[in-house]
Parts: sequence; C-alpha cells; structure tokens
Amino acid sequence: MSEGGKASGERPGLLDPMELARLASLDLRARTIVEGAFSGMHRNLHPGTSVEFTEHREYAPGDEIRRIDWKAVGRADRYYVKRFEDETEMHTFLVLDASASMGYRRKGVSKLDYAGYLASALAYLVGQQGDAAGVLLFDEKARSFLPPSTRPGQIREVFRLLEAAQPAGRTDAALALGHLGELVDKRSLIIVMTDLLDSEPDEPGNEVHGALPGRLRQLRARGHDVALFHLLDPDEVELPFDDLIFFEGMEPGDTRTLLAQAPDLAQAFKRESQAFRDRWRTVCLEASVEYRFTRTDAAPAEVLRAFLADRQRAVRL
Amino acid sequence: MHFLAPSLLFGLLAAFLPWLVHLIGKRRAQPMRFAAMQLLLRSERRISARRRLREILLLVARTGVAAALPLIFARPFAERTTDLPVASLDAQSAVIVLDDSASMSRTAGLSTLFERARDRARVLLRQFPSDVDLALLVASSGSSPRISELSPERARVLEALESTFCSARPADYASALRGASLILAGSTHAKRRIYLFTDLQAAGWEAGTGLPAEGAPEVIIDDVSRAAPWENRAVLEVSVVPAPEVGTGGIAVDAELADFSAAGARALGAALKVDGISVAKGFVDLAPGGRGHKRFLHRLGGEGGGAHDVEVEIDGDAFRLDDRRLAHVELARTMSVLIVNGDPRTTRNEDEPFFFAAALRNGLPGAAVTTKLPDDVSPESLNGTTLVALLNLAQPSQALAAALARFVSAGGGLFISVGDRVDATIWNERMAKLLPQPLGLPRTASALPGQHAGEIVDDRPAERLAPIDRSHPLLASFPEHGEGLVSARFFKYMLLDPAPESPNRSVILRYESGAPALVEKQVGKGRVMLLSTTVDREWTDLPIHTGFLPLVREAARRLVGVTSDEETASLRAGEARSLVFSGDDQRLEVSRPDGSVWVARRDQASAAGSVLYSETDRLGTYHVRAVGPDGTVAARPELDFVVNLDTRESNPARLDPAQRPDRIAVASPGAKPPKHRVELWHSLAAVMIGLLLCESVLTLRRRRV
Repeated sequence: MSEGGKASGERPGLLDPMELARLASLDLRARTIVEGAFSGMHRNLHPGTSVEFTEHREYAPGDEIRRIDWKAVGRADRYYVKRFEDETEMHTFLVLDASASMGYRRKGVSKLDYAGYLASALAYLVGQQGDAAGVLLFDEKARSFLPPSTRPGQIREVFRLLEAAQPAGRTDAALALGHLGELVDKRSLIIVMTDLLDSEPDEPGNEVHGALPGRLRQLRARGHDVALFHLLDPDEVELPFDDLIFFEGMEPGDTRTLLAQAPDLAQAFKRESQAFRDRWRTVCLEASVEYRFTRTDAAPAEVLRAFLADRQRAVRL
Repeated sequence: MHFLAPSLLFGLLAAFLPWLVHLIGKRRAQPMRFAAMQLLLRSERRISARRRLREILLLVARTGVAAALPLIFARPFAERTTDLPVASLDAQSAVIVLDDSASMSRTAGLSTLFERARDRARVLLRQFPSDVDLALLVASSGSSPRISELSPERARVLEALESTFCSARPADYASALRGASLILAGSTHAKRRIYLFTDLQAAGWEAGTGLPAEGAPEVIIDDVSRAAPWENRAVLEVSVVPAPEVGTGGIAVDAELADFSAAGARALGAALKVDGISVAKGFVDLAPGGRGHKRFLHRLGGEGGGAHDVEVEIDGDAFRLDDRRLAHVELARTMSVLIVNGDPRTTRNEDEPFFFAAALRNGLPGAAVTTKLPDDVSPESLNGTTLVALLNLAQPSQALAAALARFVSAGGGLFISVGDRVDATIWNERMAKLLPQPLGLPRTASALPGQHAGEIVDDRPAERLAPIDRSHPLLASFPEHGEGLVSARFFKYMLLDPAPESPNRSVILRYESGAPALVEKQVGKGRVMLLSTTVDREWTDLPIHTGFLPLVREAARRLVGVTSDEETASLRAGEARSLVFSGDDQRLEVSRPDGSVWVARRDQASAAGSVLYSETDRLGTYHVRAVGPDGTVAARPELDFVVNLDTRESNPARLDPAQRPDRIAVASPGAKPPKHRVELWHSLAAVMIGLLLCESVLTLRRRRV
C-alpha cells in the first residue's frame, strides 16, 4: 500500500493526466501509460506462485526474464515463458466507481477519467500478457459489466466501455462489490477505483461503518486479491479556494449545501481529508486489501509503476 | 453626552457599511458543486463555533471603527458636576498652593488630608481649560516652591504635584501666599487666582495672609478637612535629666502632654521607649484642653557610655506625628581625674587646683576627681585614671614621665598647665615625647593688678586671647565671638619653643600676640593638652571668667574621648542645623531617620568651617559622621540632633473666618453645583485604535485557520 502523490513530469516520458487527455483514444493512452510505466522494467501483473507447470506462452513485455524457458527458445527460436496453474486461472476485474461524484473536476481530469486511464492501462497490460480482464462500472448499482475473457477484441471492448462511461447517479460501492462477489467464482485480482466519498456515515467519531469494508473482507475471504485505488481530486485534499463559495453536493438527491469562506475552512478540511484517508487505509489494512491513495494530478504511468513494483516486492517477501 | 459638531453625526450611517458589505458578500458567493461535501461539512462543524464568534467580533470591530470616526470628529464631551470652584473654568493665571504642613498628615477616613488635598488639586488641574497658566507652591515653612513660574504645561504641573509629599514642617501661609502673589504679578491674564488646599488650621496664619494690600489676586480656599471636628492629644515636650538616684546611667524623662478636645482624656496611655523598645508604660488623665506631665525613671544600660534614642509615645489618634517625641542622649564615660597639685597653698582659693577641680566637678557631675601632691604620685596611681592634670608641677620624675607616656599612648588624657614652679629645662628633657611644644621662657605681659614692678608702674595692657576658631570641636559650643573667653586677661604666660609642623599637633587657642595659649597633641591613642599659663589666678584671671568652666569641661571630655553627657540638640521640623567641620574632616554625612544620607564636602563649608543642614522634614534622630582625608569614617555624636514636631501643628484650632483671605466661596449652600466639561474624543480614539488592532488580529487569525 502506498500514498499516491503528485508525480506528473517527474520522469522523462511520463505524461501527466492533462497531457494524456490530449491523446486521441483510450487505446493510445493505455499504451502510453504502460510504456511509460515499463520503461526499464519487466514486471508481470500476476507473478506466479504455483509450481505446477501447465503450458508455454509467448514472452510479452512485463514478463520476468527469469521465467523465460531458454530450452524452448533454443528449439523454436522464439521467446516463451512458462505458465503455471495459478496464472492461467487468474482473472482481473477492473471495478470503477462511475457515480456523479467521480465527475468532479476543476483544473485537471475528472476522477472517472483518471480511473479510466488507469483501468485501460491495466487492461492493456493484462491483455498483453494473455490474461483475462473484465470491467464493472457501478454507481448505486452495477451499471455495466464486461466479464473477463481472453478472446480477441476483449481489450477493445474494455476500452469502449471505459470511454463511454459518464459520471452519474449516487454511490453504493458495497452493492456493486456484493454483486461482483456473486459473479466471480474463481480466484481473481479485483482492482477497485473509487473516491469512497459517501461510503461512510457522516457522523461524529468518523468511524468507518457501513457495508463496504464488509464486502472487501468477504472478497478477501474468498481468496481474491483486492486492490483499492482511492482517487481524489487535489481540491478534495487541500481545498485551495480563496473566496466566499456556496458549495453544493454533486450526486442526485444530495441536498447538502454550505456557504463558507473557503480560506476559513482550508486547514480544518486538510486535516479532515487526511483523517478520511487514514481511516480507509486502516480499514484496508485490517481487510488485507491493498490501499493506494491517488491524486488525479499524479502521472498515471508513475502510479501504475509504483503499483506493479509494490506487488512484485510483496511477492518476493 | 454632548457634541461640539453634532452635524457630523450623520457620518454614523457609515456604521451600517460593514453590515451591507457582509450581506452583499453573501449574495455574491460563487456556487460550486463539490464532491467531498461530507469532509466539508465535518470541517465546518469543527470550526463553526470559533468561525461564527470571529465573524461576529469582526463585524462588531468594523462597525465600531466606522461609528467611532464620525463620533470623534463630532467632538463629544460630557458635563460633570463638581464641588470645585466654578472660577476654575475661566481662562486665568492660577497658582495652586498645596498645604503640606504636618497637620495635613492626619487621617480622615481612609486617606490623609494631604492625599485628599492632592487629589482635589489634581482634579482641579484637569478641569482647567487649556488656556490657563499654572504654578505650584507648597505651604510648609521653608519649603522650596515646586513650580515657581507660570507655565501652560499642565503635565509638568501634574508631575510636580504627584511628586509632592506631606512634610513634618509647620505651615507658613503668609510666605506661600506672598510667593504666589509675586508669581501672579507677572501674569498676562486679567484673572489671577490662588487656589489654596488646606485644613484651615489656625497655626501658620500668625504672620497674616502675606497678600499685598492693593491688587492682590483672588484667593480661593478649599477646606479639605470639611470643618470636621479634630480631637487631638500630643506630646509637647520631652526632657531628659540625669537621675543618679536610680543608679549608674539613671535618667529621668519628663514628658509634657496636652489635650486638644472638649472631652479630655482619661487613662491616656503613655510609654517610654529607649532605642525603639518600650521600657515603661503609664497612664495620664488630661482635662479637656488641659496639660499633664508624666515622669519616667529609667536606668540606661552600660557603664561605658553610649548614645540612646529616648522616646515618649502616647496612645495613637488621627494625627500620629505628635503622638511621640524624641530625645537623643549620650551617657558620658565614667571619668576619673587625678590632679597633681604642683603648688599647694594653705588658702583654698590660692591653691593651684581650686578653680580647675571646681570646674570639673560642676561641668562633669559624674566625674571622680582626686587631688594629690607630687610626692604622693606613683606610676601605680595612674591605674583606673582616665585623665591626669599636672598643674604647675616643678618637674616630673623620670618614673612618672615614663608612666605618663605609657598612660597616654594607651588612650589616657593628660592636661598640663604651667606656673612659676615649672622647670622648663627638665620638663623638655623628660617629657619631650608628650609635650605638644617644648616649654620656653616665661613672658610677662603686664603686672598683675595692684602689683608694681619696682619703682616703675607697669601700665601695659594685659594679653588677651585672639578670636577663637570655632571650627575646632573643643570650641564649637562657645558663642560665635568667644564671649567668656576673649575677655580674660593674661598677665604672664610661658612662651613655647617652635616645634616641627605635625598633623598630630594643633593650636587651639592663641594670645593676641600670636603665642600659643592652648596646644593639643595626639600621642598614640591618647591626647595631651598644654595650657601655657596657670589655672589659678596667679598669671591670669581666666578662672573667674564664664568661659573657664566650659573650656575645662570640653578639654576634659576631649582628652578622655567623651563628647557629651546631655541631650543632643533638638530641632523642630524645618529648622536648620549648623554642622562644623573639624580640623581634617573632608566630608560630613548626615544619616536621616529614613536611612538616606546627605553629604556636605569641605569646599561647601563657610569661612567659619560650617555648613547648614536644612532638610529636617522627617521626625527622628539624625546621625552625623565625618570622613577624614584617608577615607576613614568616624562618628561625630556631638553633631547628632533630633527633629521633633513643631507643637503648633498639634493645635486643632481653626482659622477665624474673619481672617480668611478668600473672597469667593467654593460652593454656596443650595446653589446649583457647577459643571465642568470632560472631553471624550481621546477615549473614543483609544477605543477606535483598539478596535482596529482587534480587527487586524482577527483577520490575521482567519488566514491561519
């Protein structure tokens, strides 16, 4: 688990979200992100752990060099890597929150767009490795579901679904994950991307209650590998406004409003935002879920690289 | 509240500006759809109470500032009624005379009359309009004026007023009012007034008002005592006399007590204190307005002498200063005098020691005087003796000379007088170390009255003493012109041979011819004095002059090292004390009762070698020390003095209204009390500055939240 900071432009070749948005298609954005993330490294999203060999697969960027079967290379003059039973059974579910709150943007890209970039890159990476990737978009219910598959055109389908996603509706991540739990029968990698706003009761004490932590624990109990990308706009971290502002809720039916001098609130808001993240980090730690806080002004490739590097490190340990 | 420019109050509408800005500001708030409303609302809940309070304070501060500006420009003022003279509201030249005499120190309620007078003078000063010239005087006798020229600087006068304290001196209104009239004589204002804050005690008006008959300024008297009855008891006098019947060091202390009331005093407590410790108590009944006496007998401890503060104190009343009175006494060391009679006669009044011994016995009542013939004197005779007098001794034996040398070196005193029997050669040989100057030939100035020198009548005038130098401690107590001494005639005396200059030797008295008459020499710890004539009437008629007794007494005291056995000088507060420098004193230091020290340098002394000490404002004992050329400090108990109250201040009698110099009543009974204006814009400006500071702090804090 790690804290996603502002990282755009820190490495040459890494594009920040705004620069990515200027690229024509999600396909291109995904490849750009993956190339940026994998410059100088070879990592697999599903590092094998089983010892039972099942088949060979052609080498793809991201595969570990040590897993290349040099004998097969000698026989066929092509690069093959060994596949084990676990790997062939692993599916990846990209679960994206598409509620209205994910559409907040002021300067950069919206959280939903950002989640799309990350999801498309991951889907691209999974597809390149010959694995199956599926997508679930949800708001207060599961809105769109694309089951994982290795068939040709699956990735394009994923891109199309992600590109078409529009922020709308209220959030109920617990319901969506419950729905997903019913659909998934094999051990899978489930990557959830959400802002987690309104996923905890708004009451004194700020304990994280509600169904979402329970759902996360359920998924883990079933043997799924779960990672949660907590996406927040920089405004939701720092409240960098200078004026008297009339704040209104974004999601349908949210009638909450507040008239306030933003500078008066800035410090308290920062502390509250930090506490909010800390609470979710604790929840994820307790549920053995990988928590990744990500600001939407961070370079997606950097976020992806850190994600993969952490997973690889975790496997080594 | 009133305003000088009420039209400017329309500016108060500006006070609504902050409210308008607040309301308009709310309307122009930018709407924003925001996702993290739950975080926002939680933050708001955390700081809402503080934020609201700050917003209210900010609004109040800004409203206050906006309202204060037009209020200040409208020059607000308040009118307050005052019991101070309405005359103070005019443009004028005014001299404030504050009575700081002793009687003003009596308590009235929670404060003293002086504090009340000062408070009222302070209010008066602030009440004066701005175009008033002011001066400040005090009414106690001999006090310096506080501000002796008219000045428009009110702050300066106020500062001088605050630094003025009540003294123990008696009042002298005539001098104060005369001084005030003189100050006002140079005034440019048509209205010239003297404001006198006093208790209207009759004492102090004995010399009249001091005002000129023509063109006198108006006098306005503020009676700070409110004519309240004052019942007072006082110790008027304390005297201390030896009381040998009590024992060694016995004293009798007589106190005169007085009652100044219509009721008198029954069983009035009176206590004797010695050195601050109460040693005896008694009770006295005093008739209304009557006097009484109380005598205390007490034995002072210590046979070696010493100084003591003796004080009689009665039960306290509102005027504490006259409830006690001091005397400072110094016990003489027990003096034992051995007179060696070198020319015994059968007729008593022709006997050499006749006058000398009589002077000692009368001048020093406690002294033990023994007379012996030369043959009876042995070195052992000096044991227990403090003073040896060799009177017309023909020649001291070798043994006696040696014993005397040891005796003087150890601190003993030796007095030598000459006569026909003295063998100068032997004296100079055996007593060389002790003699202040070697003895020379006898010189006859003229024949004794009735005697003839053969066939020729000697009508030359007898020798007399040159004018005395009172700077010498031995002569300090003599009258200025040496009456009682300089009239004495000297028909014959012994010339003294020259001796090298020495700081240990000094000539105390000289004849008109310049020849030394009385010479002193310090030898070791003791002293030797040589009189170059007889102490009987053989060569001089000095013994029958009034100066002989004090001369012998002071010489004996000086030789033995005892300064006094009487009460130290007692002064009344405000009186000056003349302090005389002795031969090698470089500085005199007067230690006051409050512990502060006054210093006089030698170069400040008059031609007669004296300085005048006049700062006798505090009651108590003043001790004098002398600082020598080498920095050594020695007490000068003979210069010590006590300062007591002038008993006129104890008398509560009030000034006869017919003699009052004021022609304007302070407040007529039944009349509408005058009002004076109090400017308020200063206070408002201070409030506005405070509000601005508050606004700045609140705005800064908002940025930090």
